[in-house]
Amino acid sequence: MHFKVRAAAKEDCKDISRMIMELAVYENMPDQVKTSHEDLERDGFSPNPFYECLIAEVPDEHKTKDGYTVVGYALYFYTYSTWKGRSVYMEDLYVMPDFRGKGIGTGLMAKVAQVGFMFHCMADPNWNSSIYLPCSLVGVEKQCVRLQLSVLDWNKPSLDFYIAKGAEDLTAKEGWHFLRFHGQTLDTLAKEAPKD
Amino acid sequence: MIDFKIRKAESKDVPDILRLIKELAKYEDMEDQVILTEKDLLEDGFGDHPFYHCIVAEVPSEKQSNNGPVVIGFAMYYFTYDPWIGKLLYLEDFFVMEEYRGFGIGSEILKLLSHTAVKTRCSSMHFIVAEGNQASIEFYKRRGAADLSLEEGWRLFKIDKSSLLKMSSGPEE
Repeated sequence: MHFKVRAAAKEDCKDISRMIMELAVYENMPDQVKTSHEDLERDGFSPNPFYECLIAEVPDEHKTKDGYTVVGYALYFYTYSTWKGRSVYMEDLYVMPDFRGKGIGTGLMAKVAQVGFMFHCMADPNWNSSIYLPCSLVGVEKQCVRLQLSVLDWNKPSLDFYIAKGAEDLTAKEGWHFLRFHGQTLDTLAKEAPKD
Repeated sequence: MIDFKIRKAESKDVPDILRLIKELAKYEDMEDQVILTEKDLLEDGFGDHPFYHCIVAEVPSEKQSNNGPVVIGFAMYYFTYDPWIGKLLYLEDFFVMEEYRGFGIGSEILKLLSHTAVKTRCSSMHFIVAEGNQASIEFYKRRGAADLSLEEGWRLFKIDKSSLLKMSSGPEE
């Protein structure tokens, strides 16, 4: 099936928002989605964007039963490693179920890695990069030789997809755990900070 | 009790920041993995487009050394994005030199980071910790941190450069 991967435009935010919800449903966490397409427009298309996004679209003759031609996305942003410098982190990679198995996910990831390489992210040829996902072209263009991402432990299709591309589980291998301060715990800590 | 001050890092702090980055890497047994230079840190943190933000902790110098204060701790962070909840503050590095621990410096740094997160409209502060680093895990859990790897099953993955190059030079659509 022919498809195209391109940078998202502001007008794509409604589709991106739709697919974010679809991915959350897939991960069994739909009630955790609080962002609207207006939030995405503000946060991704202002002078100082907090993320970048690539979308995959198919020709009209392959549109979904609801009439959508945008069938996948990869959302990523730039991070910083104190060891290696600039990095790319792929936050979300999603292809609608009916469009899987056709190279769209791989195509999206390839574009992200490419961007990373161009951006001078970690130019150490000996570095074994981490997959922070979304990168194929992004990472390479920004010279990010590191791509990292995180996957839920029960998500076997995704685990298989990434492992087939060479991904290594750093949580298993090196013991890295994700922690967070969220909501009330963040507010409690913040209230104790010294005044400006 | 110890007299200390926490402030925003300035470009003149770059040599100290790199020194502390290497000390933290040594603490994690990964000292040889630091390839960042002072030039990189200067360009990436204090140029037109900062890739990170940094705060430092300093103490007054010893009588016998130079007159300025000494930087003995730092935290490096940047903003990331969660498509479900929006802007986040990501804590990349956080370190206080061993001889200055136990005086509340780390606590004050964490409070200031949390305040920054709330002030800049972030709904959460995220970071990673190696499971072998029990001292740090306890420090964070005492203050209310949740372990998402345990609670929700998130695992961190990496893909190496040769695999990335293979992906990026793959067939065009």
